[in-house]
Amino acid sequence: MAVVSSASGLLAMLHEPHPELKLHALANLNSHVHLFWPEISTSVPTIESLYEDEEFNQRQLAALVVSKVFYYLGELNDSLSYALGAGPLFDVSEDSDYAHTLLAKALDEYASLKLNPSKSADEEAKVDPRLEAIVERMLDKCILDGKYQQAMGMAVECRRLDKLEEAITRSDNLHGALSYCINLSHQFVNHREYRCEVLRLLVKIYQRLPSPDYLSICQCLMFLNDPEAVANILEKLLSGTKDDALLAFQIAFDLVENENQAFLLNVRNRLPTLRPQSPSQGNPSPESTLPSSQNGTVGADSSVAAEDVHMNVDSQTPNGNARVVDPNEVAYADRLAKIKGILSGEMSIQLTLQFLYSHNRSDLLILKTIKQSVEMRNSVCHSATICANAIMHAGTTVDTFLRENLEWLSRATNWAKFSATAGLGVIHRGHLQQGRSLMAPYLPQNGAVGGGSPYSEGGALYALGLIHANHGEGIKQFLRESLRNTSAEVIQHGACLGLGLAALGTADEEIYDDIKNVLYTDSAVAGEAAGISMGLLMVGTASEKASEMLAYAHETQHEKIIRGLSLGIALTVYGREEEADTLIEQMTRDQDPILRYGGMYALALAYRGTANNKAIHQLLHFAVSDVSDDVRRTAVLALGFVLYSEPEQTPRIVSLLSESYNPHVRYGAALAVGISCAGTGLSEAISLLEPLTSDVVDFVRQGALIAMAMVMIQTNESCDSRVGTFRRQLEKIILDKHEDTMSKMGAILASGILDAGGRNVTIKLLSRTKHDKITAVVGLAVFSQFWYWYPLLYFISLAFSPTAFIGLNYDLKVPKFEFLSHAKPSLFEYPRAITPPTSTSAARLPTAVLSTTAKAKARAKKDAEQKASLEKASGGEGSSGSASGKGIKSPEKDADAMQVDSAPEKKAEPEPSFEILTNPARVVPAQEKYIKFLEGSRYVPVKPAPSGFILLKDLQPAEAEELALTDAPSAVATNPNNSGSTTATAQQGSGSSAMAVDEEPQPPQPFEYTS
Amino acid sequence: MDPQLREVTQLFERFKAAFLRSDFDTCTNLLSQLKVLLTKFPSLPPSFQRTPNAVEELTVARDIYEHAVVLSVKTEDQDAFERDFFQLKPYYTDTCGIIPPSPQEYPILGLNLLRLLVQNRIAEFHTELELLPSSALENPCIKHAVELEQSFMEGAYNRVLSARQTVPHETYVYFMDLLAKTVRDEIAGCSEKAYDYLTINDAKKMLMFSSEQELFQYITEEHPDWETKNGCVFFQKAKESQPSKEIPSLQLINQTLSYARELERIV
Repeated sequence: MAVVSSASGLLAMLHEPHPELKLHALANLNSHVHLFWPEISTSVPTIESLYEDEEFNQRQLAALVVSKVFYYLGELNDSLSYALGAGPLFDVSEDSDYAHTLLAKALDEYASLKLNPSKSADEEAKVDPRLEAIVERMLDKCILDGKYQQAMGMAVECRRLDKLEEAITRSDNLHGALSYCINLSHQFVNHREYRCEVLRLLVKIYQRLPSPDYLSICQCLMFLNDPEAVANILEKLLSGTKDDALLAFQIAFDLVENENQAFLLNVRNRLPTLRPQSPSQGNPSPESTLPSSQNGTVGADSSVAAEDVHMNVDSQTPNGNARVVDPNEVAYADRLAKIKGILSGEMSIQLTLQFLYSHNRSDLLILKTIKQSVEMRNSVCHSATICANAIMHAGTTVDTFLRENLEWLSRATNWAKFSATAGLGVIHRGHLQQGRSLMAPYLPQNGAVGGGSPYSEGGALYALGLIHANHGEGIKQFLRESLRNTSAEVIQHGACLGLGLAALGTADEEIYDDIKNVLYTDSAVAGEAAGISMGLLMVGTASEKASEMLAYAHETQHEKIIRGLSLGIALTVYGREEEADTLIEQMTRDQDPILRYGGMYALALAYRGTANNKAIHQLLHFAVSDVSDDVRRTAVLALGFVLYSEPEQTPRIVSLLSESYNPHVRYGAALAVGISCAGTGLSEAISLLEPLTSDVVDFVRQGALIAMAMVMIQTNESCDSRVGTFRRQLEKIILDKHEDTMSKMGAILASGILDAGGRNVTIKLLSRTKHDKITAVVGLAVFSQFWYWYPLLYFISLAFSPTAFIGLNYDLKVPKFEFLSHAKPSLFEYPRAITPPTSTSAARLPTAVLSTTAKAKARAKKDAEQKASLEKASGGEGSSGSASGKGIKSPEKDADAMQVDSAPEKKAEPEPSFEILTNPARVVPAQEKYIKFLEGSRYVPVKPAPSGFILLKDLQPAEAEELALTDAPSAVATNPNNSGSTTATAQQGSGSSAMAVDEEPQPPQPFEYTS
Repeated sequence: MDPQLREVTQLFERFKAAFLRSDFDTCTNLLSQLKVLLTKFPSLPPSFQRTPNAVEELTVARDIYEHAVVLSVKTEDQDAFERDFFQLKPYYTDTCGIIPPSPQEYPILGLNLLRLLVQNRIAEFHTELELLPSSALENPCIKHAVELEQSFMEGAYNRVLSARQTVPHETYVYFMDLLAKTVRDEIAGCSEKAYDYLTINDAKKMLMFSSEQELFQYITEEHPDWETKNGCVFFQKAKESQPSKEIPSLQLINQTLSYARELERIV
C-alpha cells in the first residue's frame, strides 16, 4: 500500500486559484495533519490567511487545521484560539490526544477566567462566548454519556452552578452524586464563598428530593452556618415517626462531632422550648415524666423516665385511647429533651467519658519507669512526667498514678504546681457534672486567702477550662467571677485560659470585656493568657476585635503579651481563608518578629486544612526568607495546619526543609509532619521523622519525638514495626543519664502522647464528615506554643478524639450489639503492656474481689485491664503463667470481662481473620474500613458509619433490651471524688497520706509470678 | 469504464489538442476543471485508496500534472510551475509498484532542478538531488542541471551561459534565459563586495550588458543604492557593522548581587 511521503503536494494545492481545490487540500491536510505537521507548519501563514479570508466558505476547516498544527507544535494557547475559530468542527467527543488536550486546555482556560473574579462587569462579558460554547458542549456530552461525576467536577471547577444542578438532577444515582459533590466542594473548592454557593445549591437540590438525606443536608447547613434551617429539619423529624426521631438524634450527634459550639448553641436556641403540658389535660403521668426531662439532664433517671414515655407511645393502640393526653405530644416533648441533651454535647461527652473510663488500657509501668529514671531535681522532666501522665489518662478520670505518688508529686512548685493542677483537668476532661467539685479543693475560696498557693488556684481554673472545653455553659459564670475577684496575676492567667477554653468560639461580649480589662493591666503573665484567651473566645469570627488587639500589641512593651495577642489575633481569623488576607498581610509585614510569627499562625489557621496553594507558597517563602528563627520555625510548622486534610502531601513538601542547616526549620518540619499526619501512622511521615529523632540539636530531637508520637498514636507494632523501635528508643532516651533535658522531656511527652487517653484516643483534626474540628485544630495550635510556655502543653488534650464505635438505641442507651471487624485482631489490638522488669511488679496483679457495690465495679474495670495485660504477658511467657493467672479468676468475672472487652483471648491458636466487636468498641481509624455489620442482628445502624456515635434501629422492639455500660457513670462519680481529695492533700504539701491510703485498692492476693 | 474517468480522459484529450495548438488560455481553463475532477478520485494521493481503476486514474492524473508542469513553463509562470510540480511529485515518489515510471519523469525533475538554480535556492536544489537515486544522475537531464550548478558555484559563469546551447529538452530554454539573470545578480553581488567603484564600461562588460542603457536600467531596477557619476559606478559599502554593544554593567552587577543574596538565604 502506498503511503504519501510528503504533504508538499497538498500544500501546493492550497495556492491553487480554484476554491474547490483549496478545500480538497484542506480536507486532506486535516486528515493527515498528525503525519505532516512539521511540513505544514511552514505553511501555517497560508492557511491562516485562508481562515482570515472572509470570502472563503470553509474558514472553520482552515482554523481547525491550524489549530491542530499548533497543537503539535506545543503552542496550546494559539491552538486553542484557532480551535475556537473552528466552531462546531472541533469535535468534543473525538477520541484523540488533540481533542483531549485541547478540551482540558479549554476547561482550564474557562475555569481560570471564571475563577479570577473580574474587577468590573464588562470583564465578565469578556469570557469568549465560543469558549463557553465548547465547555457547555463538553458538559452536555458528559451528562448525555452518563459521566455525571466528570460533569460535576467540571461544572464545579468552571463555576457553572446551573450545569452542576443539571448534572446532579439528571444523574442516575442522585444520592451518590450529591455526596460526591459534597466531597468535591470540600476537597477541591478553595474559595470559601464559592464553596458556600455550591453547598447552598446542594441543599436546594436535597430539599427537592422525595426522601431527602437529612444527614448530609445538615452537614451542609452547618458549613453554611444556617442554624435556622437545621433547627427546622430537626423539629420536623422529631415530630415524625420513631425512625425519623432516630435520624434526628443521629444528625445531632454528627453535628456535635464537628465541635462548633456557637452553631450548636444557636440550633438549640431555635428549637421550640418545651411547652408546659397544657393543664386542661391534666394527666398525672406525663406531668411526672416531663419535669425530669425538661431539666435537660440526660442522666440515668431522666432517660429511664423517657423510656417509660416511649414505651407508652409504642403501645399506642391499646393504651393511647385510655389516656387523655395525646401521646404524640408526650413523645415529642421527650424527643425534644433528648435532642437538646445531645446538641448540648453533654450526651456525647458523657458517653465518651464512660467509654474511655471502661476501656482504659494505659500502662502504668511505663510511667513508673519514667518516674524512676527521671532525676528528682530536674523540674522540667518532673513536670513533663506529670504531663505525660495527664495525657495518658486524658478523659479517663483514672488518676491512680497521682494517688500512688503523692509525695513525689508534691515536688512541683510554682508554675510546675500550676501545670500539675491543670493536668487534673486533662484527666477529668469532659467530666462536666463533677468537674467543679473535683477541683474544689484547689479553687480560690471566696474572699478567703488561706486556701492554697495562687499557682494551684490558677491551675485549677485552667483545669476547669480544660474539663469544660467548648462546653462551658455551666462553668462560664464561675470562671468570670473568679477572674474578677482576683488580682494575682497567676490566678488571672489560669482564669483567662480557663474562660477562653470554656467559652471557645462563643464571641461573648461580656467575657471579652472582662478579659480585656486583665489585658489592660499590662502584666506580662496575665496579659499573655488574656491575649490567647481573647483569641479563643473569638475563634473564627474575624471580628473587629482583631485590630483592637493588634493596636495593643504595638503599644505594650511585654514580649509575652505581644506573643499572646498575636496568637489570639491568629485565632480570630480561623477558617476565614481569603477574608483574612488583609490581616495576614498586615501582620506578616510588621517590623516586630513576634507579630510576624503571629502572622504565620494566622495563615495556618485561616487556611487550615485547605491545602491552599497560595498559603503554602507564602509559608514556604517565609520559611526560607525571614530573618527571625522564630518566624521561620513557625512558618514551617504552619504548613502542617494548612495541609492536614492531605497528610500524604506534607512529608514531600517539608522533606527538603527537614534537611535544612537551621535547626529551627528542622524543628518546624518535624512538628508540621506531626500535626498534619497525626494519627495516620503514615509510612513516609515516619521515614522523614526517623532521622530527626537522632538530630544533633536537642530541641529538634524533642520536636521529632513528639511529632513521631503524634503520627504513631494508636498504631501498634504489627502494623508498623517501627512503632516498636520507637518505643524502645523512647525508653532508652528516658533511661539515659547523659541525655539532654530537652530531648528527655520530648521523649517523656512522646510516651504520653503515644498512649494517650488510655490508648483509646487519637489525634483527629477532621471529623468523619471531613469538616475541620475546630477545637482540635485550636488545641494543637496553642499546644505548639509550648516552646515558650510549658503549661500550654495541656491544650493537646483538645485534639484527642475517642476511637470508638458507640451504638445507641432510641433511649440513647448503649444496647448490646455485635459487629464484625474483618481483619486479624492483632493488627489493631492494644499494644502489649511492657513486661515488669522484676518480679516485684507482680504486686500489681489483680484482686479477685467482685462485689456489686459501685466501688468494686470501678475496680472491676481495672481488673479486666490487668487481666488482659496478664494474659498478654503470659502469652509470651508460657502456659504456666497463664494457668496460674487464670486460676485466681472466678468464672463469673471472666464473663464480665468478656463483655467489657473482646480482645482476643488465645494467642496459641492460629489467628482468626476476623473478630467480633461488642458495642461500645474501640475501632481505630485504620480499622474502620474492615468494619462490617452483621446481617440479621437485632439492631440496624441508622447510617453505616464504622465509628463514632451511631443510632441503632431496633428491629425487635418488643423484646427487652440488654444494655452495656449501664452503671459506669455512678462508678465514675465516686471514684474521682476520692482522688480529688487525696491529690488535694498532696498538692498542699501535707505529708499525711494516710487518708489516701485508706482509699487505695485492697492489696492484691498473693500471687507467684513464674517466668 | 468509469464515467468519471471517461469524463476526465475526454477533457484531457481536448486539453492535449489545445496544448498542441498552443492555445494556452483554453489549456489553463481546462486544466483547472481537470484538477477539480481529479479531487474526486479516491485512489490519488494522499489517500491512495485501492480502487479497481486505480492504475488508470493514477496514470491519467500523472499525465495531466506532467502536462500542467510543461504548460506552466510555456506560459512562463513560475508559481504555477512550483504548484504543479509539487502536486506531481507524489506520483513519482510514492507510486512505484502501482504504475510504471513515466518517461517524462527525469526531464521534469531536471526542469525543477533548473528552476531552483534560477531562483538561487541552492539548499533546496541539493535536497532534491539527494532524494534521487544515484543512477538518475547519469540521466542527461539531471546531469545537465548538476553540471550547471557546479559551474555556477565555481564562478565559471561563461560556462553557465554557454550551456544554453546544449539543452537536453526544448522546455529548458526558458529557464536557461532566466539563469543568465541569476548569474548577473551573482556578479553584481560580488562586484559590490570586491570593488569600491567600477568604470561604466567595465561594469557593462562585467555584467554582460550590451548597452549602457541596459546597465542603467538594471541599476535603477535592482540596485538603486548604486551611484553613477564621473563615468563610474560607485557601490555603496554595506553599512558599517554596528559597534559592539555596550556591556550592561549595571544590570550585571545587580544580578550578581541578587545571586549572592539568594545564596545566603538558601536553606
